Formats: sequence, structure tokens, C-alpha cells
Amino acid sequence: MAIAVEMPKMSDTMEEGVLAAWLVEEGTSISAGDVVAQVETDKATMDLEVYDDGVLLKRVIDEGDAVPIGGLIAILGQEGEDISDILAKYGGGGNSAPPAAEEAAPVPAPAPAPAAPAPAPAAPGGRVKVSPLARKMASEQGMNLAAIAGSGPEGRIIKRDVEAAMGGAAQVAVQPVAEAPVESPRPQVEPSAPAAVPGGSYEAVRISQMRKTIARRLAESKFTNPHFYLTADIDMKEAVSFRAKLNEKAEARDLSKVSFNDLVTKACALALRQHPWVNASWMEAEGEIRLHKDVHMSIAVSVDEGLITPVIRHADRKGLTELASETRELATRARNRELQPEDWSGSTFSTSNLGMFGIDEFTAIINPPNACILAIGSIQEVPVVTDGVVVPGKRMKVTLSCDHRVVDGVAGAEFLKTVRGYLEDPVTMLL
Amino acid sequence: MAVLQYREALRAAMTEEMERDDRVFLMGEEVAEYNGAYKVSEGMLEQFGPKRVIDTPISENGFCGLGVGAAMNGLRPIIEFMTFNFSFVAIDQIINNAAKIRYMSGGQFDVPIVFRGANGAAGQLAATHNTSTESIYSTIPGLKVIAPSNPDDAKGLLKSAIRDNNPVIFLESEVMFGMKGEVSDAEDYLIPIGKARIAKEGTDVTIVAHSKSYHIAMRVAERLENDGYSAEVIDPRTIRPLDIDTIVESIKKTNRCVIIDESNPYASISSEITFQIQDRAFDFLDAPIKRITAKDVPAPYAKNLIEYYMPQEEDAYQACLSVMYAK
Repeated sequence: MAIAVEMPKMSDTMEEGVLAAWLVEEGTSISAGDVVAQVETDKATMDLEVYDDGVLLKRVIDEGDAVPIGGLIAILGQEGEDISDILAKYGGGGNSAPPAAEEAAPVPAPAPAPAAPAPAPAAPGGRVKVSPLARKMASEQGMNLAAIAGSGPEGRIIKRDVEAAMGGAAQVAVQPVAEAPVESPRPQVEPSAPAAVPGGSYEAVRISQMRKTIARRLAESKFTNPHFYLTADIDMKEAVSFRAKLNEKAEARDLSKVSFNDLVTKACALALRQHPWVNASWMEAEGEIRLHKDVHMSIAVSVDEGLITPVIRHADRKGLTELASETRELATRARNRELQPEDWSGSTFSTSNLGMFGIDEFTAIINPPNACILAIGSIQEVPVVTDGVVVPGKRMKVTLSCDHRVVDGVAGAEFLKTVRGYLEDPVTMLL
Repeated sequence: MAVLQYREALRAAMTEEMERDDRVFLMGEEVAEYNGAYKVSEGMLEQFGPKRVIDTPISENGFCGLGVGAAMNGLRPIIEFMTFNFSFVAIDQIINNAAKIRYMSGGQFDVPIVFRGANGAAGQLAATHNTSTESIYSTIPGLKVIAPSNPDDAKGLLKSAIRDNNPVIFLESEVMFGMKGEVSDAEDYLIPIGKARIAKEGTDVTIVAHSKSYHIAMRVAERLENDGYSAEVIDPRTIRPLDIDTIVESIKKTNRCVIIDESNPYASISSEITFQIQDRAFDFLDAPIKRITAKDVPAPYAKNLIEYYMPQEEDAYQACLSVMYAK
């Protein structure tokens, strides 16, 4: 029996994928686990693995074509097998493929059993059968059940199938991904409304998967989460000299140099441990607020098409030079589009820093399902009054955006007070 | 640790409690002069005399009613049924009197009584002498129901049952009376009512089984072990109140459950446990719960048929493989 290869859900925010490149020719024999194509999602370009053995009978879509999740990409089977049924079932395949009547091959031989179970949707009646446990696991991992092959009776998806799928790169679970409000310069996008478009000349830029996701998710966050903002003006005099001393030693020992951003990351991570309601998520569907026990800091990184937010796990347990080197490495991989879903999933708090662009202060849009995001401005040399005398000071403004469903004003303010305490007396971060 | 037969463990429990508290007495058919139909009360008449070890006529409704009245008036009777099949003659005394008087009197009367005796099938005894009564009695609020699978549990739980201020149905088995096992010789050995025992720890499937079925479960677990699967065996010991927490915790670990239950299947202990598991741990189940029970017919007499009627080890083994998707 021929087997349909469908567009898998490769990230939690993905709705469709673009076939970036075919890696296997039609007529080639392939085995389960082989990579047959690369798919561009909203976040990254990822390998598409197949889960069955067979001959690649047809590449249903062309390079550059976009297919929604569950759409037909290719067909595997025995050489010479009739694939017209599958093509008909998917309405001719991906959104660009012709009905492909030319494949009307000779009578199919008695169908040999496929080496691996067929994907779940093939179950008669169209209902995906899945054990309660497998359903829960898939939901927690943000996996699409339709993309998982069931090995239980009548194709039921069971625990081991979800575990197997979690191991497969193409179906790795993805938590909602960060989008922070970096306004990186980019070309104008043509509005799609037909009427009232200003005339004149313009350059049309295709809306990339990443921009689509940014648009959808940030709109959802900004329009759904009741944001409020708390700004604090932090005295960075001590932090400046602390960092200078630290980097002198770091350099001598060939360790990563620590940036001001790393200091803020560390201060936030430590403060989050003391303010669990800021390190939290509003889980509407589950009817609960989750107070996360781990601190996973997501850091907005600007890339060509938009931005991405890699996650530093257990940031509260890491030293400053470790945070510095990990942040640098993640940012580099983000710019090279080398991040994998596990690199950007599962954050509990986010920061966004525009200080290096000379921005004094700004407000950021919360990165769901985080409850808060911290927007970091530049360190300014300003006159400050100390003991009645105007002296030169170094100040940095940070603005915490809070989801009021989880965090109230006082909770947010107390968190910022703790962050301020660490940054104004940075040695305390080492306690 | 002393090695005792199941019947000796029961006798030790009753003897200790009667020595400890002179309000406790034993009453039933053939318990005194004949030393008990299954020799559970052997020697007790000699030790305690005819006022405390009392032979009754064949009149279950009579002596059960007498027992309830005695309990209401401050004594602590142990009523032995030769088998629980005969308890049906006294169902009104058990269900409407013993179980409900405390409730109906607004708590003015406790009914500290133990009804004990052989329960369930025991070979070629035909339809009327082969009934498993645990599902019948455990459906009644006001009764506690205990069904120990081994001598140690039998002793510790019977002592707790005698001290309990509520009516307790204590279910034994003809085929287990001669079973030997180590029994704690701790002074005043009490096992709390309502606490299950994890007989064997495992990770792949939970087998819940009480009384005789527990021994099937242990054999199945051993076969599975040889196949490379790790079964967890839970003996609830008390049917009501049921220690569902222990069962649910196990399901959360193994995600699969097989119940072995000698009752007829309809509205049985296995039905109840299955309901409670899906109610409490639905999201942890990776397979439908399976149960192996007696067949849904009156127990047959013919040897081959009564064997077929009872829960089969092979069926339980296959059920475990099936919930693990191992076949």
C-alpha cells in the first residue's frame, strides 16, 4: 500500500511549511529515518524525515511551494504502485500539484504490508485513535497527533509512538516561541487589501513564515493579554566598575567577557527565583496558573527576517561567564538559522535589549506563555543629585511588561526592586 | 516470624483479641464442639468455655440478629459463617440491621461485629456454594469489607476488624485455609483497614488482585519477568474502604492496568476499581483497563467447567501482554 508523506508540524506556531529543497529523486529507494527534503518553517529550515521504507514514487509539490500541516508532500510505496487513490484523497496533493493522472500504473499487486504502521489519519472514519496518555503527552509537547503513526490496535497512537516521534527531529516538540518587539529595519510589506492602496511605485516582499508568525503571535499577545508597564531607573555606577573588574579577570583566564546584558540576565534569573508569580504562565485551557520551578530565560535576537528568542535554560544556576558564552553562541546560531526547536522552546521569562541602539527606554510585547518581559534600555551618563550635589551618574531604564491576569502591580514592582538591588550592588549576585 | 497456616493465623487473631477483651466472643455453626467446620476455632472452646465460643443451630438469620443485638448492647461478637453463601439467609440482618443501625440511630449505637468465613468458589461445590460476595457487600454503605490473601494479612487485619466499631465483612477461603506463610510475631500485630499492599514493584503494568486472585497475579508477574516485563502487583486487602490512592499512583507510573477478580463480572469489584481509575487517572492510561473475572453465569459443577469458569492465569497473562501492546 502506498504511503502518503504529509507536512508535519515542526513547531508549535507553524501552520504551513515551504518545501525548501528536495534531497531525493523520484524512484529512489529510501528507509525509515531518511531525510528526503528540507522544509522552511516560521523559525528554521528543518529536515523532513520519513517514517517508512519504500520507493519515493512521487514528489507531489515543487521546491518553493507552501503546504499546510497535514498536506501531501510525497508518496512512498512499491515500485509501479497505483497512487491515484492517495492523490484523489488529498484532492490532488499539495496546493500546486495537478491531479497526476499520468501515474495510472498497472494493477497494484497484492499489497504488501507496510514496514511501519500507516500514519494515524489513515484509520477508517478519519478519527485519530489515541490513548489518553499519548494525547496528553502530545499536547504537552505541542505535537500534532495527525503527524504521528500509531502502532496500537486499529492504528491507535500510544505512549511509545509519541516517545518515538519526540525522538525524531522533524517532529520535535515545540513550545510557543518568543517574539519580542524588536523593530529592526526592514522593507515595507505590501498590504493585501485590494482597495485604498496608495499608488506609486513600491517593492513587493513576500511575507515569510517568520513574519507571519510574528504578526499572528504578537497580535494575539498584545490584544489578549492585558499588558501594563513598570519602568525603573537603575543606578549602574557599581555595575560598570564591577563589569570592568570582572572582564579584566575573565580576559586573563581566557573566559568569555561579560556584557551588561549578561548582568541583567543574571539579575533577572536570580530575582525570578524569589518572585515565582513573575516566572509564571496563564494557562487558560487548563484553568490554571503555572508557577514554574525552573528559570529559563529567553533572549530576543534580531535576525535578517525578524527575530527569534533562544532560551538559556536554568539561567539562575549559571555563572556570569557561562551565561555570556551561551548567549553569544545562541545568538550566532540564531543568525545562521541553525537553531532547532528545542533551542527556542520552554522559556519562562524573556528580555529584549535595544540599549546598543541608543534607545533610552521602550515597552515590549509579552512573549506567551510568559507572564512578563523586560525591555532594557541603554546606560546613559546623566547628571544626578547625590547629597544635594549634582554629580555625573550612569543610569539604565528597564521596563517590565506584565500580564495582569497573572501579575499585579505590586508583584511586578517587587520583582523590579529585587532586580534593581542586584544591579546596584552587583556583588550580591555572587552570594 | 512464625510460619502459620491461614487458619492458624485467624485463630491466633481471635484468641489474642478474646484474651485481651472479654467482650469478644465467637458464635456460629460447629465452631465449638466440632472445633470449626474448617478447624479455624480448634481448641478455643477448651480455652474460653461455652459462654464465649458458642455453637448455634442452622439459623443464620437468627444468630446474626442475635449478634447485632449483642453488639448494640456493648459486646463484640465474631460471627462465623461456614461459608458466605449461607450469609444470604441473613442478608436482612447484615444489610438492614448491622450496616444501618448506627446511621438510623443518629450514632447512638455502634455495631462492632465481625462476620467472617469462607468466601467465593472452592471447586466442585456447584452454583449455590460458589458465590464471591465482595461486590454484594461492598456496595452497602456502613459495611467494611476485607479479603486477605495470606496468613500475615489475615491475622493483622482480623485483629483490626475485631477492634473496629463498625460491622466488618471478613472474607476467607476454603482453599486458602491450609496455606502456610510467615506471620509477624510482633506483639499485638495490627494491619490498618483500608491500606493496600504493593506485593511487587514494577514499571510496565499494574495488576490489581485480592484474595485467591492475588496468587494468580504473582505467577503472572513472574512469567512476565521472564519475558522481560516488569509488573507491579497490588493487593488491595481491604475492598471497602478501597485504597485507590495506591492503585492510582501505580497507574501513573505504569500507565496500564489488569484486574483479576473472582467475582462475577457485572457490577463487580473490578468494575468499581476500573471506574475509579479512569476517574482519577484518565490522562495516564495508555491502554484500556482489562479484567479477568469469573464467567458471567452461575458456577457450574463439572470439573472442567468450574475450572473454565474461574479466572485463568493464562488469560491474565495474555491481558497483561495486550495492555502493554506486547503482542
